[in-house]
Amino acid sequence: MNSIAQIIAGFEEQAKYPAKAVTAAIKKTGKKAVGCFPYYTPEEIIYAAGMLPVGLWGGQTEIKAADKYLQSFCCSIMRANVEFGMKGTYDMLSAVIIPTYCDTLKCICENWKSAVPNIYLIPMVYPQNIKIEAGVTYMMAEFKRVQDELTKVSGKTITEQDLLDSIAVYEKYRSTMQEFVKIVNLYPNTLNARVRHFIIKAAYFSDKKIYTEKLAELIAELKKSPAEEFDGLKVVITGILAEPDALLDSFVENNIIFAADDLAQESRQFRTNIGEGSTAIEKLARRVANQSCSLLYDEKKTRGQLLIDLVKETKADGVVISMMKFCDPEEFDYPIFKKELEAAKIPMLYLEIEQQMDAAEQIRTRIQSFSEMMVKH
Amino acid sequence: MFLGIDIGSSSSKAVILDENLSILGKAVINTGTGTLGPEKAIEIALTKAGLDREAIKYSIVTGYGRITYAKADKQITEISCHAKGVAHMVPGARTVIDIGGQDVKVIRLDDSGRVENFVMNDKCAAGTGRFLEVMARILDCDIEMLASLDTLSTKEIIISNTCTVFAESEVISQLSTGAKRENVAKGAHHAVAKRVAGLAHRIGIRPEVVMTGGVALNKGVVTALETELGVHIEIVKNPQIVGALGAALFAAELYK
Repeated sequence: MNSIAQIIAGFEEQAKYPAKAVTAAIKKTGKKAVGCFPYYTPEEIIYAAGMLPVGLWGGQTEIKAADKYLQSFCCSIMRANVEFGMKGTYDMLSAVIIPTYCDTLKCICENWKSAVPNIYLIPMVYPQNIKIEAGVTYMMAEFKRVQDELTKVSGKTITEQDLLDSIAVYEKYRSTMQEFVKIVNLYPNTLNARVRHFIIKAAYFSDKKIYTEKLAELIAELKKSPAEEFDGLKVVITGILAEPDALLDSFVENNIIFAADDLAQESRQFRTNIGEGSTAIEKLARRVANQSCSLLYDEKKTRGQLLIDLVKETKADGVVISMMKFCDPEEFDYPIFKKELEAAKIPMLYLEIEQQMDAAEQIRTRIQSFSEMMVKH
Repeated sequence: MFLGIDIGSSSSKAVILDENLSILGKAVINTGTGTLGPEKAIEIALTKAGLDREAIKYSIVTGYGRITYAKADKQITEISCHAKGVAHMVPGARTVIDIGGQDVKVIRLDDSGRVENFVMNDKCAAGTGRFLEVMARILDCDIEMLASLDTLSTKEIIISNTCTVFAESEVISQLSTGAKRENVAKGAHHAVAKRVAGLAHRIGIRPEVVMTGGVALNKGVVTALETELGVHIEIVKNPQIVGALGAALFAAELYK
């Protein structure tokens, strides 16, 4: 196995077996771990407290216990997270931060206390209007409260320098990720839809500094080879996430790569750099104010233009909408950007997904049909 | 000779074409994926064509069972194959509505008859052949009888539930309060039509509209759908074999 394949296999292992990866990271670093519910939490503060932020993005599991709290028409990621919490999968975590971006998350915040009483809960409320000054001021106060909570969990006082050092680690992570998602276009066969996803996802289950160094090593190794020839389709994918594996496999089977993404689990996490500010907390708050996501109120509705720009920039053949079933914020955005993409004559493929999809046959037919339609038999 | 096989959820279809793209043999068997249906359909089509298997130069499989069927040269989705079949039979077609055993597809064709866009139903039996099968069972008639029952109706009993399971309870409740079977049959056809029309409006309807799939044989559904969409719907001869025909046409094309 060459070094590229070896690094990729390591990332894939982490992404596929998060509990094992997190337990190993705790052992290796000697740090405590704090779970971060989707979609955005101030991971830099956790890292500054000398702890490991761990992304909790659901997974494949049969929902039994969580039915007591979340009905079948709730988001499948949140149902899986509560299930994992109740089953003890998250027992290695010292705390979880649950923000309140959507109606389901608001409920979980309260449910968690009785469903998973053994894992300390740090709730977090984001302002509705993130871009106005009052929103930034509120967010700073909320981040400071979370900082105090994390001090309690870690037993370590978090200094301004700790925060600035942590921000530097995350800025390095973000710039490396930004480079990585671009480089996919040069090595589309090696970094197919499945591999690309696993590499990005692995970041949630390891120390960010160690992860970033490994990813930088992969990029350096890739750059030693010439760009790869590719005769498949390039798409921009948008939504919350692109899972389960069967979905990604269908893209690989049909030779379709993700030239760029607008996924909450992927680029929306790292495409916005740190904001301006006189303190570390202000910089963090202003970064959130600059972010764009269906979960963060966007008065100007910029998503359609963002997708059009990504298509142009990467010379993509179309846009795939990976619609998370029952996700209201995503569904509210859809009719607006759909019209804009239609006007720009960009082909679209709409897929409704759930994390626990047992039969992916219809998704497979849709993806294959889209591929056949684009190559024009 | 070229073979097209369409393995659906509830039936298997086969079409054999000669070099001039004329149909030499065709067959429809009412068992689908995971059964001996596909093999039977091929055997019957071959017998009708007076050929043996060695005469087939290239074959394409399509439909729900296409992935697991290993004996064809290539697999292509039913969306592409239905579009291909319709464009061959009705060159002016711009919209294809295919209602099968467990899914519904609306396909928009461009001016050259190629797929321009498409929508499919979600994993739900509402608006599909399965819904009509359930309704026929409650009304104690064969599925083929639903359309003739509909012609006797005096009014439409509205079935408000889109979910097949809930609709079943709703219809039982209607029948128990004295609703006439023929009026319920009409209601079932309109329930399917409304669901399909909702799907069709997502990508827009452009005439000429052609309907394919087994449900196209049910005049009650076709009439209800024409009412819901406000357009004339063309039904091709043998609407069940359009997918297999499209597959056979692809086979002929790809062989070259």
